[in-house]
Amino acid sequence: MQVRDYLLRRLALLPFIMLGVSVIVFTLTRFTGSPVGIYATPNMTAEEISALEARYLLDQPIPLQYAAWIGGLFRGDLGWSGVSVAPVTDVIGLKFAATFELALAAGFIAVFAGIALGTLAGVRRNRLPDHGARLFSIFGASTPTFWFGLLLLVPFYLWLDWFPLGRSTPEIFSSIAHPTGMYTLDAVLALNAGAFLDAVRHLVLPAVVLAFGAMAIIVRMMRSSMVEAMSEEYVDAARAKGLPNKVVIRRHARRNALLPTTTVIGLSFGFLLQGAVAVELIFRWPGLGQWVTSAVLSGDQATIMAYVLITALIFMTVNLAVDIAYAYLDRRVVLGG
Amino acid sequence: MSENWLLKVQDLSVHFHSPRGVVHAVDNVSFEIKPGETLALVGETGCGKSVTARSILRLVPEPPGEYASGKILLSQDQDQSIEILSAPIKAVRAIRGERISMIFQDPGKALNPALTIGRQLAEVFGEHRMDMILENAGIEPDKASRADKMIAQQRASFLQIRLFSLLRSKKGKALQKSIDDAVARALADTGIPNPRKIMKSYPHELSGGMKQRVMIAQALACDPDLLIADEPTTALDVTIQARILELIQEMQKRRGMAVLYITHDLSLVREFADRVAVMYAGRIVETGPAVDVLASPQHPYTQGLLGAIPHRRTPRGQLAAIPGSVPQLVSPPAQCHFASRCKWAAEACKSVVPLLNSTETSRKVACLRFDTAEKLSVDIGDMPARAEMGEVAAE
Repeated sequence: MQVRDYLLRRLALLPFIMLGVSVIVFTLTRFTGSPVGIYATPNMTAEEISALEARYLLDQPIPLQYAAWIGGLFRGDLGWSGVSVAPVTDVIGLKFAATFELALAAGFIAVFAGIALGTLAGVRRNRLPDHGARLFSIFGASTPTFWFGLLLLVPFYLWLDWFPLGRSTPEIFSSIAHPTGMYTLDAVLALNAGAFLDAVRHLVLPAVVLAFGAMAIIVRMMRSSMVEAMSEEYVDAARAKGLPNKVVIRRHARRNALLPTTTVIGLSFGFLLQGAVAVELIFRWPGLGQWVTSAVLSGDQATIMAYVLITALIFMTVNLAVDIAYAYLDRRVVLGG
Repeated sequence: MSENWLLKVQDLSVHFHSPRGVVHAVDNVSFEIKPGETLALVGETGCGKSVTARSILRLVPEPPGEYASGKILLSQDQDQSIEILSAPIKAVRAIRGERISMIFQDPGKALNPALTIGRQLAEVFGEHRMDMILENAGIEPDKASRADKMIAQQRASFLQIRLFSLLRSKKGKALQKSIDDAVARALADTGIPNPRKIMKSYPHELSGGMKQRVMIAQALACDPDLLIADEPTTALDVTIQARILELIQEMQKRRGMAVLYITHDLSLVREFADRVAVMYAGRIVETGPAVDVLASPQHPYTQGLLGAIPHRRTPRGQLAAIPGSVPQLVSPPAQCHFASRCKWAAEACKSVVPLLNSTETSRKVACLRFDTAEKLSVDIGDMPARAEMGEVAAE
């Protein structure tokens, strides 16, 4: 069908966009100076540093450096991560899995709770649930993630000690295999309930904090598009057929109200990635955000560039997914038209 | 039983609460519809005719709407009747689409853009004809499982249908076929060519006329006793308006149902309605047999409305417009709403609400020119000039 053609075309375009991104990333990063600092030690001599520069081609013109870097990328070599003291490609998978697990959990919370709350608010417009939802979304949209994270840490970690920091308890972590790097999934695959519970306990708080901002946006969008959908004539027509209220709201109003919300959900995924940086720092979550923060602080260019590349890739994938979801929800959409 | 009526609206008042005050959209409206009869509710935009129509199915949203007073009675078997405005919502749902159906002004807006035509029609059958669907699929209604019923009602989710068809595919297929057959029959009944193809289409893939046919098929799927047609042709091309109206008329003859036309088009009344009720600013101002009212309108507003219709004999440049504009309906004063635009208006018209009075058999008009000073207890000098019986708007 048309959706498949569109998907293929978009996928074919992807490498070219990535190439563009890589040029921009590389040049901008190199403008901040030579990355030799991360590889050098304080007691190296000038000759030793020049030898290091020569070894990493840092004495060459920037286009040549770029060519070397991109060539390495195709061989699966993204350079040496100074902060992880390991090759970037060895670490990036684990970091990605950690962030992906966190963002996925947060995304689920934000999308499902956001749609449910937004629908309720839209249906009960100007009544108590609506006021509550609006207050919630204003609070959510205007609360900085790091502050909200600390706010939850105080009672739930400090006082009650319900949720621990980090990603898992070390003994439990070493007791099962980690084929996916997503600890909840690993525990399920290992059929280990204890490990699963441990992973979830670590996941809840950061996921809720991360979801908060995105959820606020989704609630607001869902509410307004639900209000609009409820006033559409096909909702009256559905009622005139004798359908129960629940079916009218779910099948007729909500389904159409989901359209504009889908776009916002896609955009809010970027919000999740961005928020993940702060959340990972606060909750000691060893994901991409934490990784890139230490890389930025220590001038670890190889890590920074890898992070930007993978983020760009995630964004493009999400946008593609949103487009396809859109075509599924609204049959009037002609993809690529 | 001389009072042979199907639907009776008594003193219906509908208010809307807005920040500017309470809008009296419908004000003490009464009328009745006999079985098989065609009544046209005529008036200009904002006169309350659509709100009246929606009230019959209790579709006015509350809030901001409010049924301030009145009753809407629908006759049932053995001289029984049900009062729609106070009935439990479940009983009202059983009436909607089953005994009273509605078609809307713009079929492009009244059909859900995200669902196929087939699915939207199937909903009606699932709601009101589930037993028939089950039986045609070879399932006895009282032995049907929850899953059977959910599929018949189109309530099963995609995942459930998948699961169901995996487990008991034969039954699921029979049910789907039974639903499809019912939908195709309903579509074919309204003269839609190639119903199996139309079923799979989305509304945006059909023309306006075809969409309205689909709406009619959907409305008539359960053989209702009353069809409410809210400006059914206003949004359509002129070329297909007549065909849609003829279709409704043909279906009406075949099934013996009553039709309530909501329209602003008096020429449509002449051709398709038995009786007419003219509404102005939330009130019915004149009612009677369509032929009589059109031939000799009694209320000044009806006269003005008829004068505004272009006619073969109307000389160029002499189309009459009614001077002034429709009054605001926020907390309206107790007076004749037409008084400010009426050439006969007198003092009494600004202090008394005119009531519908019989002028001839089967005709009623709400105008002080047809009332007497004694009855209203106002000074005779304040009354407008009495109307001559049989007076026509032929000035």
